[in-house]
Amino acid sequence: MSTRPEDTPATLQVMRYDARRGTLSVIVGDPADVPREILARRAVEAMRARSFICHTTDDDAQLGADEICFIPRADRCEIVSIHTNGWHRHHGDHRRSLVEILNDLAAAVARGTLSFLDGEEIAALAAEGTELFACTIDGPASLRQARAAVAQVLEQHGVGQDTRRRMELCVSEATTNVLVHGGGGGGTMRLRLVGDRLRAVVADSGPGLNFMNWTEEAGGVYQPSMGYGYKIILDNLARVYLHTGSEGTTLVLDRTI
Amino acid sequence: MLHTRIEPGEIPVIHLEGEIDLDSVETFRWVISDAIRGASEAVVDFTGVTFIDSSGTGLLVRFCLDYKAQGVQLRLRNIPPVVDDVFSMLKVRALVGDDAFLDQ
Repeated sequence: MSTRPEDTPATLQVMRYDARRGTLSVIVGDPADVPREILARRAVEAMRARSFICHTTDDDAQLGADEICFIPRADRCEIVSIHTNGWHRHHGDHRRSLVEILNDLAAAVARGTLSFLDGEEIAALAAEGTELFACTIDGPASLRQARAAVAQVLEQHGVGQDTRRRMELCVSEATTNVLVHGGGGGGTMRLRLVGDRLRAVVADSGPGLNFMNWTEEAGGVYQPSMGYGYKIILDNLARVYLHTGSEGTTLVLDRTI
Repeated sequence: MLHTRIEPGEIPVIHLEGEIDLDSVETFRWVISDAIRGASEAVVDFTGVTFIDSSGTGLLVRFCLDYKAQGVQLRLRNIPPVVDDVFSMLKVRALVGDDAFLDQ
């Protein structure tokens, strides 16, 4: 039986072209069937042009994604590709909503707020600095505990109420995602002091993010759902690091205090 | 913890006090569904709300749009700054329409 496009989940793939080594690595997503040569060539073009470049499949079917963005850095190029597997042909508003969210992610990468990291990189960040607090996220009541811990630590460091509230909100969103999308196994939240930054490390061992879950239907229109939480996080923090894969998801949230 | 109180009437008013997050979102869902049953309009009063996240906001947007599609108007009033801040971040006014907001 053939798979219908609407049964196939949308995916996000993040790759990194390392200009020094001339290599392309897959940070998030399935490394199979990646058109490495084409992507590396386009990454070099984006780096030469020093310009954020986005393509759609209408522009360039060779790239094999619905939307693909090349985000040049000094020594590398981040590549964010969005596969909706034909959903746009079946569910116009759902696809628009989904692509809007994923484009927000790509824009966050472009402006340097969001970094997709591999497992080793995120583990190194999660171990930096001094641990101030740790708790298990095993049910909705954990959310209040996590928020209270953030408020207490920030208050101890003389951080103003507005900043405290926003960091509480971001940690609450991240821990909510553990409960809703973490595969039911719960997770952990740790607060660390890294130089002049408060770092929240929120991790689960779930199946990884399924970006198709980021929208929901309401009043006959698809709207962002899980995307709301990420929008709040990305709009309120200077640095956010994300690793997601079949072994789980880790989000690192940094706020200068 | 979310405390709720329904002021019955032709246009029922749902008074909310406390935090609206994943822990209380079911209470939020239940109280609005219960209050609005049979009415053509209801008011949600946020005076006592001290925290709202995307779970609560997402549910509220969903309710506003779903009820609107059924010809029922859900109106929001007395939005404290901490809630308004989140609504602004998520562009709630653009999603549900300015007519959903009372006295602001």
